[in-house]
Amino acid sequence: MAIVDSVVPEIELDQVGMRYRTDSAEVVALQQVSLSIARGEFVSLLGPSGCGKTTLLRLMADLLDPTGGTVRVAGKTAKEARLSRKYGIVFQNPVLYDWRKVKQNVVLPLEMFGVNKAERDRRAEELLELVGLRGFGDKYPWQLSGGMQQRAAIARALAMEPEILLMDEPFSALDEFSRERLNEELLSIWSKVKNTVVFVTHSIPEAVFLSDRVFVLSPHPGRLSAVVDIPLPRPRAREMRTDPEFYRLISRIRDSFEGV
Amino acid sequence: MKSMLRQGRLFPAAAWVLGLMILWEAVSWFLLEWARVPLAQSKLPYLHEMVRSLGGYGAVLLKEGAATLGNAGLGFLMGTAAGALLAVLMSVSRTVENLAFPYAVASQMIPILGLAPIIYGIVRDEQVSRILISGYITFFPVSLGLLRGLRSVPPSALELMRACAAKPWEVYWKLRLPASLPSLFAGLKVAAPLAVTGAILVELMGARHGIGVLMLRNLYYGPSHAYLFWLTVMTGALLGIAVSWLIGAAERLAVPWQPEFRGRGGERG
Repeated sequence: MAIVDSVVPEIELDQVGMRYRTDSAEVVALQQVSLSIARGEFVSLLGPSGCGKTTLLRLMADLLDPTGGTVRVAGKTAKEARLSRKYGIVFQNPVLYDWRKVKQNVVLPLEMFGVNKAERDRRAEELLELVGLRGFGDKYPWQLSGGMQQRAAIARALAMEPEILLMDEPFSALDEFSRERLNEELLSIWSKVKNTVVFVTHSIPEAVFLSDRVFVLSPHPGRLSAVVDIPLPRPRAREMRTDPEFYRLISRIRDSFEGV
Repeated sequence: MKSMLRQGRLFPAAAWVLGLMILWEAVSWFLLEWARVPLAQSKLPYLHEMVRSLGGYGAVLLKEGAATLGNAGLGFLMGTAAGALLAVLMSVSRTVENLAFPYAVASQMIPILGLAPIIYGIVRDEQVSRILISGYITFFPVSLGLLRGLRSVPPSALELMRACAAKPWEVYWKLRLPASLPSLFAGLKVAAPLAVTGAILVELMGARHGIGVLMLRNLYYGPSHAYLFWLTVMTGALLGIAVSWLIGAAERLAVPWQPEFRGRGGERG
């Protein structure tokens, strides 16, 4: 059972398509994707490279314009949602600015929103505490490990207390151990902030461990090929990774790729 | 750790300088006493004789050096301001870039040696023309460096700004300008010594103050002023070194986060 407090759709995609024109041909990155994500839901967009999962996330973030269909985010167009700062985003790379200390990086969105210095300092402490980086605020980004940098990026994405957290393969550059630990920490953070999360990944275990639902995408052209419910109980802990039910869900998703 | 590093750098430098001085004296002696080359001291004067001349000449060198440096500095600041303004305009608008860039490049094709007397002929003021030439030389490397820096921002850093719904001026102030500083300083480091050279060049065209004037005068008086001539040339060189060093120091203050200033192993000293 997914933990969803209502059926209010937070993100709705209707017949969304995305084409690129190159010199020689037209590439269909996404074809007629329709999906609905409920408020407070944790979903993953899962698929091999080239399936358009990152493109899909960028459409939700209004970093790209779809060539067909409509994207609604928090009851608005994607652009309105972006301008009213409805979402926070975490990229594949931490994208921390080298000239800012960690705490200044974390509160960058608050600066743009005109929050005063005292309040920003207070929030920086809170956010760093939330992601387990307490005491690292005065370091520069390059002084942190890759996993810590990505945690700082998560803190920054949460700075505006967004309704939606968009995450584009945030842990894919990390080693397996850091990734698993950060998965667990992400869930613990999420249980505190309780927002809607859209998580892009190419790792089946990661998607299963984190999500309420997994959207499986397949390539050439990118399209939605399956939606898998993950009825594992929450809170989820490390032990769940060895649960037979966990393996059953992984093989079910793997099978859905076989059918493609 | 840091002091060891400094020692490690200082020692070879000191050894080089000392070695070079010994070699200089030896060659100078060889030319004068052994090979008996005519005008040997004009070709490579004894260092110790130059140091002796410095006693009576130092004050003059200092005064004229300051005049050169002051004018070069003013020109440098003006050139930097103009170059920076053009770079920002070009980075904002492709139209401005297409209009201005070819002419900026073409302007660098004009030989300074020819341009200096033209400008001097127009403004009829040695001070103003020195400032103008220094500014003219500074302008291009600064503009190019800053433009490249402003454009060098990675797409993901821009997307973050977009996701934060940043206004265009915020994108410049919080992202593009800080990100462009290393590249701007690369341009400044090229421009600063050139600005000094430019100022000296104008002085050679018949000014009344500056290192260039001394250089010309000592050259005119011939062998009797060999030591003074060499001292003047060295002062000119030292001015160039001094401004490079100044820019380097400013860079350390303004852009301490650059990879080359970071300590090893991701730890800062």
